[in-house]
Parts: sequence; structure tokens; C-alpha cells
Amino acid sequence: MKIIIANVSDLPIYQQIKDQIKDAILQGELTEGQRLPSLRELANDLHVSVLTTRRVYDELETEGFVVSKPGKGSFVATANLELLRESKRHMVEVKLMEAWETARSLGIPKSELYAMMNLIFAEEDKD
Amino acid sequence: MLINLVKKDLLLAKKYLIIMFIFAIAAPIYVQLNSGGGLASFFVTVIMVQYMLVNTVSFAEDKSKGSVLLCTTPYTRDYLVKARYLFILLVFACCYIIYTLTAFISPIHLEMLGIHALGISFLATAICFGLMLPFQYRFGYKTTRYIFFFIIFISLFTFPALAKSVHINTIFQITVPFSQGIQDILPWIIALVIGYISMLVSLHIYSHKDF
Amino acid sequence: MNAILEVNGLCKSFNHFSLKDIGFSLPEGCITGFIGINGSGKTTTIKSILGLVLKEAGEVKLFGQEFDKNERELKNRIGIVMDEGYLYEDLTIKEMTKVFAPAYSTWDEYVFSSYIKRFKLDPNQKIAALSKGMRMKYAIALALSHHADLLIMDEPTSGLDPLVRSELMDILLDFMKEEGKSVFFSTHITSDLDKVADLLIMIDDGKIVFIEEKDTLLDTHGLVKGDKRLLNEHNRNLFLKLRETEYGFEGVTNQKAAIRQEMNGVLIERPSIETIMLGYVGGNKNAY
Repeated sequence: MKIIIANVSDLPIYQQIKDQIKDAILQGELTEGQRLPSLRELANDLHVSVLTTRRVYDELETEGFVVSKPGKGSFVATANLELLRESKRHMVEVKLMEAWETARSLGIPKSELYAMMNLIFAEEDKD
Repeated sequence: MLINLVKKDLLLAKKYLIIMFIFAIAAPIYVQLNSGGGLASFFVTVIMVQYMLVNTVSFAEDKSKGSVLLCTTPYTRDYLVKARYLFILLVFACCYIIYTLTAFISPIHLEMLGIHALGISFLATAICFGLMLPFQYRFGYKTTRYIFFFIIFISLFTFPALAKSVHINTIFQITVPFSQGIQDILPWIIALVIGYISMLVSLHIYSHKDF
Repeated sequence: MNAILEVNGLCKSFNHFSLKDIGFSLPEGCITGFIGINGSGKTTTIKSILGLVLKEAGEVKLFGQEFDKNERELKNRIGIVMDEGYLYEDLTIKEMTKVFAPAYSTWDEYVFSSYIKRFKLDPNQKIAALSKGMRMKYAIALALSHHADLLIMDEPTSGLDPLVRSELMDILLDFMKEEGKSVFFSTHITSDLDKVADLLIMIDDGKIVFIEEKDTLLDTHGLVKGDKRLLNEHNRNLFLKLRETEYGFEGVTNQKAAIRQEMNGVLIERPSIETIMLGYVGGNKNAY
């Protein structure tokens, strides 16, 4: 599982971690029932606060991605297709938002962003 | 718990224990030869030994402030003070045992100490350290060390002479109209009272100190 | 989460300095960093909590119990490392331990020996002969060998090289792996906290400035860099601290959204804890 926290992103740290774990689950990198690292392990490895990893796991559980068993740890929840579909869309939305936020903080206007996207699509279509 | 803190004082005084042990054997003999009087020789010896050891311990404490860390442990402040008093008592007892054994073995005659004579020494100990400890707790080791050094050395040199010219034992017998038995115990009781009050004062001072 | 240490209304005054109404609550299972510049009151606060300095007002509760009323019992459960060490210089490690260990009913000689081996300390060596780093490691060994639930440390890393500091942080993270453990330590070397802190409490001039989760702090504050010409009367106020040079400006803000709205073309980065701390230290707005 890859989790990398960006320093120039505007997204709160917990959001970045949450999104990347969700990615991993939706793309099948983390399988159903797989045990996730403990709060403390994750916090230590990412150098973030244990209060943050707790928030991440709590929200992932509320959103149905994760199940925690007291005393045993947290595990990836069993898949739910509806949820999956909705989440995939949501994932793209989140990525688009991120791109826009980044562009804005770097002073790149909407028009230029559109231009950039069209360029990318053009490249894609060529293949 | 208390014993461990007394052990601590012993460890801090470790360097001088052997020297003081030898001193406790040799000094009474020396004083006996020069000034005479069993009481005088023991008196001088025990005060000196106690003073040297307590001074060493106080110096070590002052240097590294190790007692501060111990105050954060479950020992708590009270025990640190009580252990110091117990340490002095222990040294007194050891000096007496050494003196008595030396008296048995020594070719030079050393008077054995009776309860009364021992009591006088004990009283002297109580007065001396009963004053010194609270002062030290209150004003710190550095400020008080020279004063007490002075007092002790002056009293040590004058006492043997005093004891010879004015037979201490007889004074006590004349002025106090009690039975012999009570007169023997009297210095002990006074000493214990002084010591106890001193300890209470020290406990109070130490418990209100900011480190 | 349970509060493992609660401080309320702590006050203490000296001739030239005073603690004013210090209050905070530490959650269980967290490493809390207590930050502030030299002289801000960190050591005084910790000493007041431990009873080394007598507080004039306020109450301290540990594990839900009042400290003053259950002193001996509660002291059994805390491990303490003080900046000054307060170890007897003339004793050897073995002797010092023999004095220290019996104070605790939960002393574990096996755990202690493991730490001593791990730190490569020689029990027969005099404490005066130990380097600062070794002394600190010994102090930690003492603090962690009686199954303490809360570790309180005052500037444990001052005067130590980065390698030893990093080792210490690893020891703390190891300590935290067990359930129900907490750490509270003061430092002015905030880079150590970037790695391990969960919660941060800042003190300045005897008063608490903020109590915040580390990541929230990093999320809500920004290090802003840009062209000097973008600064005006109004947006200067959005900065906690501002520094202008020949080449531009650099500022710390806790209003990232506002900055983004009102200033175009600035770079906003995630700040370090040190930058944030300096942003709140009282006084000259332009000097950081």
C-alpha cells in the first residue's frame, strides 16, 4: 500500500491518508478481510499523529470501508458493489478537486487548467 | 524503604568509611593518652566521625542534587529526611561498638562507657546535629558548612579540657536531685526529645522547599 | 479517550517569572509535546506537576486521581526524566540503581537489564564518567523499568546529537506500542516532535498559547512566500509573523483560506512545528 503525504497539498493530512487507503481498497490492493496496520504502527510509519490515524479509521468505518474489532484491530470490509461504484465516482471527483486546488494555489487559472486537460486528452486519444 | 535511603547515605560516604573506621579505633586511644577520661575520648571521636560522614554526604547531595530525583519517586520527601537522622543514629551506634571492642582488645586502658557517659555523648550528638540539620535544610549546605565546621572544631578542642577541669559527671550529680537511675536516663530522654523536635522542624522545612 | 493527566488553574510566581493559570488535559495513548522557548515555563510547569516546586494554586490529577492525595501510589506509575539528571555523580550505575529501584513496588530488574544491555552501559561505571547521551539513556532505563504508564520528561534531548535524539524518539515509539501508555515531554527542539508528537501544547511567558493535534496544527497553518508587492495594509493582519527581505516576503499564517482568497500568486507550504511555534512567541511581529 502506498501512502504519501504531500507538503504542498491543501488537503488535510487525514484526508490524504484516508483517500489513499480508499484507493488501495477500491483497486483491490487491499483485499477483503485483510488486516490493516494498527493505529500506532501507521502513525509511526507515516510520522503523523495517532489521533489522525484514529480519525482516518473511524471515518473509513463510517463510510463502510473498514471494520474494527476491539482488541483485534481494523480490517478491510467485505465489498459492496453499489458502494464501490459510487465511491469510484467520488474518487475521481476528489482527484479533480485536488487538481483544481493545486492549480489555484500555484496561481494557474481555470482557463489554463482546461487547456492543460484538453492537451492531456489529446495525447490520450492519439494512442 | 527507609533502610534503602540510609544505604544511600552510606554509599555517598563510601570514600571515607574506612578512614573513619580506623579513626574510630585510634582516636579514643590518642585522646586517652593525652587528656584522659573515657567519656572525653569517646565524645570527641563520635562527634568527629559523625560530622565527617554527614558532611561528606551533604557535600555529595549538594553537588549532584540526587535527592531531587528521589523526591519524584514513591520515597517522597519525608523519608529522605528521616533516613538522614537514622544515618546519624547508625553512625553513633557503630562508633560505640567499635569503641567497646577496642576497649576490650586494646593494651592501653580505655574506660568502658556507662549508660550515663554514653547518654552525655548522645545528648551532645542530638544538640549538635539537631541544630545543624534544620539549618542545612533551610539555608543550604554551602552557606552553613563553614559555620558548623567552626563550631564543631572549637567545641571538640575545648571539651576535653573542660571535661578534665570540671568533672562533667559530678556536675550532673550535684545539680539534679533525682535518683541515680533517672539521672542515667535523663540525658537520653532529653536527647531524644531534642532529636525528635529537630526532625519535625527539618521535615517541615524540606516539605516546603522549591527545587 | 480518558485523560491521563489533568492540570487546572496551576499558578506559581517567582521574582521575575510566573505561571499563570496553566491548564491542560492529556489523552491516554498519546505522545504530547510541550513546546516553548527557553524561559517560557516548561520546566517550572513540569516541576509543579511533580511536586518539586510547590504550586500556589491549582490542581493536578493523574489517572483520574488527585496527585496530592495519592502521591505514593501515583508516583509508582510515572517514569520521570529531568533535564538536569539529578543523579549521584560519585556512585556507579549499579549503586545508583540499588538506591533508586526499591522505591518502586513494580520494579522489573529483567526489563532494566535489557535496557542497560541495549544501551551498552557498563553497570560498574561511575555516573560522573558518563557522557550526556549515556546519562540520558540511563535515566530513561530507570524511568522505564517499573512498568510506568506515563513518562514525563523535561528537555530530554537538550545537548544531545541528532543520532542520539533519533534513538530516543525510537525508544518512545517502542514504549507507545503497548496499550495504555502515554508520554509527556517538554522540548525546544521541535524537530524531534515532527516525528513523534500526537498532540502539541505551547507555552509562552507562563501562559498556555495553544493545545492542538499536531496534524491539525500543520493543516491549519501555512508558510506563505511571495512577492513583497502583494502585501498591503489589510492582508498583513492575516499573518502571525512576517519577514520581508530584498527578495520577497515569508510569513506564517493561521488563515490559509483568507490568504488564498486575497493574495494571488503566493506559495503556501506546510510549515514545520518550529515555524509555527516562532509564529506565536510574543513580541516583534517581524522578527522570526
